[in-house]
Amino acid sequence: MLFTFNSFAGVFEGGDAAKGASLFKANCAACHKITDEVLAAPGLKDIDVRWKGKDALIVKWIQNPQAAAASGDPYIKGIVDKYVGTFGWMANQAVTEAEIKDILAFVKAGDTGGGGDPNAPKGPQCLTLDEINKAESANEEGDGTIWFIIIGAILAIIGVTAANISRSLKNAINEREGLAPLVERTYWAEAKSWMWSNKKFVSVIGLFLFCYFTVVGYRALMDIGVYDGYTPDQPILFSHAVHNCQNEIDCQYCHSGASKSRHAGIPSANVCMNCHKGVKKGTMTGEKEIAKIYDAIGFDPATGTYKENYQQKPIEWVKVNNMPDHVNFNHSTHVSIAKIDCKNCHGPQNMYTVGHVPTAEEINGQDDVVGLVKLERRPFTMGWCLECHNKKEVDLNSNGYYQEMHERYKSSEVGLRTLRDIMEDGEATVRELGGWECGKCHY
Amino acid sequence: MMIRRSIIFGTTCAAVLALSSCREDSNSPGVEYMPDMYRSPAIEAYVDYGDSKHMDGTQGQKDEAGIKPVNAMLPAPGTIPYTKADMAVYVMPYALNNTPEDYERSAMEVHSPMLANKKNVLRGQEIYSLMCKHCHGDAGHGDGAISNNGFIAGIPDYATKLKDLPEGKMFHTITYGKGLMGSHASQLNQLERWQVIEYVKLLQKGITEPEFDKDDMLVVKATETAATDTTQN
Repeated sequence: MLFTFNSFAGVFEGGDAAKGASLFKANCAACHKITDEVLAAPGLKDIDVRWKGKDALIVKWIQNPQAAAASGDPYIKGIVDKYVGTFGWMANQAVTEAEIKDILAFVKAGDTGGGGDPNAPKGPQCLTLDEINKAESANEEGDGTIWFIIIGAILAIIGVTAANISRSLKNAINEREGLAPLVERTYWAEAKSWMWSNKKFVSVIGLFLFCYFTVVGYRALMDIGVYDGYTPDQPILFSHAVHNCQNEIDCQYCHSGASKSRHAGIPSANVCMNCHKGVKKGTMTGEKEIAKIYDAIGFDPATGTYKENYQQKPIEWVKVNNMPDHVNFNHSTHVSIAKIDCKNCHGPQNMYTVGHVPTAEEINGQDDVVGLVKLERRPFTMGWCLECHNKKEVDLNSNGYYQEMHERYKSSEVGLRTLRDIMEDGEATVRELGGWECGKCHY
Repeated sequence: MMIRRSIIFGTTCAAVLALSSCREDSNSPGVEYMPDMYRSPAIEAYVDYGDSKHMDGTQGQKDEAGIKPVNAMLPAPGTIPYTKADMAVYVMPYALNNTPEDYERSAMEVHSPMLANKKNVLRGQEIYSLMCKHCHGDAGHGDGAISNNGFIAGIPDYATKLKDLPEGKMFHTITYGKGLMGSHASQLNQLERWQVIEYVKLLQKGITEPEFDKDDMLVVKATETAATDTTQN
């Protein structure tokens, strides 16, 4: 370490790297890295070589860059030309010369600062990628049908062959003993004669099969247009668990349409870049998945700049929650006015990687959501919507949107009577305010 | 003999059907009755029109290469949304450009068009918790979860380092981004940007819970733009 003290030495000698580390973090780390990577400003590696012999100038440059640039030093001019157009001027840093010494000592010592820390404290309830993958693969049985069909076919062939062999053996015995050979009959005729002679057995099996297929068929029909459990593969292995749960980014940061539009929306790549301009290495998948954003938008992580004249590519996300065309669902009504928690419909999304349609159990199992309306119907069906509209209580007194309605009711005789009817059971539900009218959603 | 043959057939068929009906494929949305009512040619956000049966690939806007249909598009350049008259100030294009010179100019030239009243400040607080908190921290000390987890370091504290940051620079920064912070113009419209700035101005004074008088005006009125040291920050 740099403990040699030399009163004559310049700013590049004799600083305290440990003190410098915290000073660097507080004042410089937002834009500079101590490697040669460009974050929002050039990396500081080898700064002592580049600024050799300009000790007074670098102090001035850090304390007041624009004044230092006015001195006309050619190296400073080079930096200004290269970076100020992209990143803007460095702010005047309120650091003393002694502190600059410490910071430069820290830079020289070469501790790797910034970047994703894989050992970063995780929230106790946040899952890691392995746990998520385990939970998700437990839900899937995999596509094993083809093997059952193959095994079934082989068994059938063996069965038929065995029956035929036994039949020809019997014929051979019959022939040797001088008996007439077995009558040639089709399989169907044989099956029919067997069924006639085993009526009880066949009817029990038949009844069982009938019940079985009725139930299977009914359940298959009830599955039509129901999406729960749908978790399509996405072009980027995005993790809601990392972003929302560990790093506490609110749902509406990315899905910013939810509060003001019908659609919550999928963020465009520029929203990703708000953080991933600086975060170039993910906790779970490293640089692999983040590189896909850079590829789409044309960002060069090495220089920290956008490529010029780059042909941007759209990221083709697969739509997960799909409302049928004949329903008008409006996010802003539910988010801004009714103040429904996202999790009430979308479930514990912060426990998953990519988008997932939750099942009713997953939604109802969330104990941490305040005011969760627990519903029995399957998510994203009409019965589910109606069940909630029937249960959900409307806050007439403090919710600004309904206050207006409340005042109008109270202002007339008829309105007062209606209000009394609504409030007969002590609460006003969405249904009582017209939430079950067909035209509310189908218009 | 026949009994055994039939039993083998029956059990095989039953097993195949029973097991195949339990199969789950997370990549399949399941059966849809009349899929054209689910995936229709009507304009919807984030539907791949290349997939729709009604579209032959000629409709809709294309990506830059002119091959794939794209539905996330910017509005036509120069258009402004239709609004009520009192909202007009929030939909006009922002006059300054994303240059260091204009950043300095914003300190003098850009001022909040809104009153620091209860509605605006509380909405600002709400937006702050949605949009800013994960980096800048609950009280604006730069200690949000992303910073604490070690992803982005050195986020400046509103109450100390950015104490005198004028509102115009804040607006310019939210609009175009600065340093590692990206542009939030696509997530926040100008009204929301000014609302959140009204709240950030309180955080500069170390106030996290705003108080209001009987006219719903902020009690500690934010001082007008300092605009003293334009080179600072």
